[in-house]
Amino acid sequence: MPKKPAMRRGKPDRGPDKKRRHGPRLPRAMRQALDAMGNGTSRGSDDEEVSDAGAEDLYEYEEGVPEEEARKNGRYDDVAKYEYEFDSDASGADDNVTSEEEEDENDDGEDEEKQIRILEETTGMPKEAFSAKKKKQPLELPSQPGDGPVTIHDLLDNIQGKPGYSKVRKRLQQQEKKTMVVAAPLPKVEREKLERAVTYKEANKELTKWERIVKPNREASTLFFENDVNLGVNTIAAIANKFEPRNRFEKRMNEITQSNEIMEAHRNDGAKILELNKIDVEDVRERQNRLAKMRSLLFRHEMKAKRVKKIKSRTYHRMLKKDKLKAASADFEADPEAAKDYAMKQELKRAEERMTLKHKNTSKWAKRILKRGLSVQDEGTRAAIAAQLQQNALLTRKMNSMKDDSSSEESSDDDEDENDSEAKILNRGKERILKVLEEDKEIPNSGVFSLPFMERAMKKQQEAAYEEARQAVEEYDDSLRKLEDDSTERNEDSIKVTGKRTFGPAKNLPKDVNKKQKLEESENSDGEYDSDPAQHFGNNEATTKKDVQLGTALLDDEQNGLHKSFDVIMKNPGPKTTFEVGMLASDSWKTVKSSKGNGNSSVSGITNKSKIQASTVVPNPKQRDNNPDSDSDSDEEMVEGFLTISDTKENYELPSQAELIRQAFAGDDVEAEFEKDKMEVLNEENPEPEKPALVPGWGQWTDIQQKKGLPSWMIKEHDVAKRNREEALKRRKDSKLKHVIISEHVDKKVEKYLARNLPFPFTSKDVYEQSIRMPIGPDFNPAISVSALNRPAIVKKPGVVIKPIQYEEVNPHQKPDEPKRVIQRAIPHPNAKKVSAKQSKGATSHKRK
Amino acid sequence: MPTEGGFLEPEDEDLEKTYRVQQESILKEVDLLSSRKPFDMILPVLGPYTIDYTSNGRYMLVGGRKGHLAMMDMLNLDLIKEFQVRETVRDVAFLHNEQLYAVAQKKYPYIYNRHGTEIHCLKEHGKALKLQFLTKQFLLTSINSFGQLHYQDVSTGEMIANYKTGLGRTDVMRVNPYNAVIGLGHERGQVTMWKPTSVKPLVTMLCHNGSVTAVAFDRSGHLMATAGLDKKINIWDLRKYEVLNSYPTWAQSLDFSQKGLLAWSNGSEVEIYRDLGGHNYRLYMKHRMMKGYQVGKVLFRPYEDILGIGHSTGLSSILVPGSGEPNFDTFVDNPMETTKQKREKEVHALLDKLPPDTIMLNPNLIATVRAPKNKEKTKKEIEEEMEEAVESAKNIERKKKTKGRSKPSKRAKKKEEDVLRAKRPYLEQSKEVDGRPDKKQRIGEEVELPKALQRFAKKPQS
Repeated sequence: MPKKPAMRRGKPDRGPDKKRRHGPRLPRAMRQALDAMGNGTSRGSDDEEVSDAGAEDLYEYEEGVPEEEARKNGRYDDVAKYEYEFDSDASGADDNVTSEEEEDENDDGEDEEKQIRILEETTGMPKEAFSAKKKKQPLELPSQPGDGPVTIHDLLDNIQGKPGYSKVRKRLQQQEKKTMVVAAPLPKVEREKLERAVTYKEANKELTKWERIVKPNREASTLFFENDVNLGVNTIAAIANKFEPRNRFEKRMNEITQSNEIMEAHRNDGAKILELNKIDVEDVRERQNRLAKMRSLLFRHEMKAKRVKKIKSRTYHRMLKKDKLKAASADFEADPEAAKDYAMKQELKRAEERMTLKHKNTSKWAKRILKRGLSVQDEGTRAAIAAQLQQNALLTRKMNSMKDDSSSEESSDDDEDENDSEAKILNRGKERILKVLEEDKEIPNSGVFSLPFMERAMKKQQEAAYEEARQAVEEYDDSLRKLEDDSTERNEDSIKVTGKRTFGPAKNLPKDVNKKQKLEESENSDGEYDSDPAQHFGNNEATTKKDVQLGTALLDDEQNGLHKSFDVIMKNPGPKTTFEVGMLASDSWKTVKSSKGNGNSSVSGITNKSKIQASTVVPNPKQRDNNPDSDSDSDEEMVEGFLTISDTKENYELPSQAELIRQAFAGDDVEAEFEKDKMEVLNEENPEPEKPALVPGWGQWTDIQQKKGLPSWMIKEHDVAKRNREEALKRRKDSKLKHVIISEHVDKKVEKYLARNLPFPFTSKDVYEQSIRMPIGPDFNPAISVSALNRPAIVKKPGVVIKPIQYEEVNPHQKPDEPKRVIQRAIPHPNAKKVSAKQSKGATSHKRK
Repeated sequence: MPTEGGFLEPEDEDLEKTYRVQQESILKEVDLLSSRKPFDMILPVLGPYTIDYTSNGRYMLVGGRKGHLAMMDMLNLDLIKEFQVRETVRDVAFLHNEQLYAVAQKKYPYIYNRHGTEIHCLKEHGKALKLQFLTKQFLLTSINSFGQLHYQDVSTGEMIANYKTGLGRTDVMRVNPYNAVIGLGHERGQVTMWKPTSVKPLVTMLCHNGSVTAVAFDRSGHLMATAGLDKKINIWDLRKYEVLNSYPTWAQSLDFSQKGLLAWSNGSEVEIYRDLGGHNYRLYMKHRMMKGYQVGKVLFRPYEDILGIGHSTGLSSILVPGSGEPNFDTFVDNPMETTKQKREKEVHALLDKLPPDTIMLNPNLIATVRAPKNKEKTKKEIEEEMEEAVESAKNIERKKKTKGRSKPSKRAKKKEEDVLRAKRPYLEQSKEVDGRPDKKQRIGEEVELPKALQRFAKKPQS
């Protein structure tokens, strides 16, 4: 290779042709790759180049290798390539190709082969020819440089005599005979058109591919732009993988489970695990024995329970219960929880007892016995009944409950005898009645009450009340005595105390005693007390007291109404004032009337009625002072104002003659007027067509014309207009309502609140209108659905960067509507092609619509 | 519903009548809280009184004709502010809450705040006789002595509308709570309904033969009660504009309660009627004031079983079981509102304020699809009409003409022309219905263009 050293040495020598040779070259493919990466790297790799750059800092343009030459994937058809080769040959200025080939030859055989393949393909000659030619070329070529371009004949000479030579030559000759006609390039317009068609097709393909992604986004009601928050590992398997044994037990377990033997056994179908899991025969026997023992024990226990259950002996069961209770009580001392439980249970029982009164002689048996009389019964039955009642008393006794809300009195009384407390209550009731009686004695000695008849009435009333109270007291005493009789002598002293206050022995017991009390009495006689007497007696007391008051009220009622009203007022002070003032006001009203009658009937006299009234009613001088003040301020106005009032209110009583007539004949007038009004409105909204008329002078030239009258078209037009108007009037909402005018005027301001046409997803007007009936406000919807209903078209957290849309395969058979469309993903899809931001923007703007 | 409202129920309908039940006997039975609510206030000096309640029923505004103004908290019966304006007070009205209220005085309406400070003087309204406030639109409405209707936005102060009714002086005005349409009663027995965006009344009804004395609207907005000087009280169905019921009595004032009880006053008597189903109103309760009292205004207190009465010598309130809505929605009105909630609500109300254009007879119309301007005919209808026209065209008799003009051929030709002429408009119509573009505009493939123009012809896309 003679050229090579020259190239290396004498770069300046070859100035004119400006083409530089570089030393040993990399294979072309690699160089292209390097070029693509950037210039700097390719230079850095070349040692010589560095020195060159130091020598002269020239910008070098290195032509990229055309793709055709590279023959990348056979994309270029043969014709084009042929042209190219032809061209390069024709120019003849460049023998680089060959020189390069020579250089490459040394470096690697790969390029050689490639070259040969290219040649083979172009010429269609066998491989040997080229391999031979290649060997010869270096010898031949140097002799030719000055002569001109290398023709194909020169090349042919070299392979003369080789097999297949004649074939090649023949083809060449044939080709030379035929004049080569290259088709004229298409006109620019045509070419561009073709290009556009192709581009359109390509662009179309490129864009339709996006449709599947963009369309659902466009149709989605809301788009969410959010970055996926990766929470890291969260599956159980992942957590289990990371498990590390920490304490000894875990370590031990780990040792066993992770031991080689077991792992291997697992791997080998688990058959070996069984082997590892061998148990001794003795162990098994022992276990069996243990199980059998347990079973027999269980059986025995069961049998025993059965037997025990069959036992009917009462004594036995009583003993059992006692034992249980004992155990339980021992338990209570031990833990308060159990005690509380027990108390609750007890409370429940008590409530139940109070509800059902099961032990209060309500059973059939008890009733029967009571009917026959207790005295007739034998000892045992009596005892049983007593026991039952005892139980009832026990059960229903007011307890020191867990809630601790009962009054201190009650609780303190608890341990005392019940009789004692009862007596106390009775005493209290009596005392109260006495007090009331004493209070009643006070006679109000002022105003109306000082009148003689009032005094009499009061006395009567007092007497009645006194009588009643005495009766009540006697009742109390009676019950107290009963108590006394039944109870032990312990509460003798208390009875004595009450005895001092009694009004003597009960001569005549009143018949109208409360039934409740009777009941109680009967109970008392039985020797059984209501364990909750406070309530009953409290009630009793209240009722008696009320009775007293009511009695007085009744008396009052009979006597005179005035007193009654005052009594009522005492109870509810609200209406009291009404009555009082009402009376007074009515009085004044009468006075006003009388003044009117006196002939003081000037306008002001009538109109200022209320003023007079006010002055009569209000004795307060201050207010009187105020009155003229306000009068002077708005005198005129007042009169006017009152006149209007008198118009509407007072004149009903005495309307003037004219007024009466006007009212009497008002009806006809009003209706006719309204009809007229309605016609006016109708005419305004649908004007009546003009009567057909000719312009004066037209169509009146001759007799005939005049006889004919108006032209028929005019009449026709008029008729049509008339008919139209009638139809329009018929169509009105108020056409059938005589007394109503409904304006048909279309309000343009309202039109902006109406939808011009059906919104997108709806196809029917009714469906749409139904859908907007559902309220979306917070007043009618739960908070969650409100946010869903009013969500904006795009939901984006502040700070989230909206990335361009990414392409990915969408399964066309996927469900069309997912609840939520998340556009972005944190990690871009590896295969996804990025599209320019502009495009995505366009897409989002579409979505918004 | 958490609580149910109840009425006075007689055990035996024939023997016992609910209207015989007096206030005192009701008072005996009710609980302590309710028993505190009825009261009578005798204020004989400053003339007949008118009253107003806030929408949540918590506060009451009292206006005496001679200038007495007072505001009360009805929950604890506290007097919040009482003062004298020293001129005629014709009407009072709360604005959106108790913080502000309007008072129609001698010359102009004024707006005062809770403390009695004068905030505005609305001179444009003139001598207002009656005031109403549209809560959702924040509009203060007044009718003045010249029969002019004014709408003023109280949040912006803008005068929205000012219309002359042209029907004379009236002081009968009521707002329909359903659609915020204002109802006015006039001298000649008419009731007109107005909205701020229309110069003419939406509806004019002839309700009475005498002048109208009172108008009231049901909460649902479908019922209207009117009272006239012709001694009639009519109950109207506003959907059909028909009288449902008529009662031969006078009434100076009418009011519907939230639960649909109808109260009217006549002289010193107040009667309350109850709907027994099918708009059959029967007397439910009766209350007689002292003789000589003239009841000026009856007004049910919202969310309470109470009827407020303003009369010539003060005011009183009576118990009317079953009148108020027992379950309040705190999103709408809260009688137990705290100050914070009140503030919040004010802001919300302002944010949710409706523009005045949204007032219309049927508020459900908003957001529906606009009705097409002229109803389009279907294809079938057009065809039928065309056939008819063709038939009529065929039957046209032609005049006999001379000189060969009436040759059979000519006649046939003319007939054909007639038919074509009759057909043409219908053909055009059907084309429009189809939505097919006119053929003339399309330069089709079938038309052979001259060579020079062919490049402009549309070509099928490759």
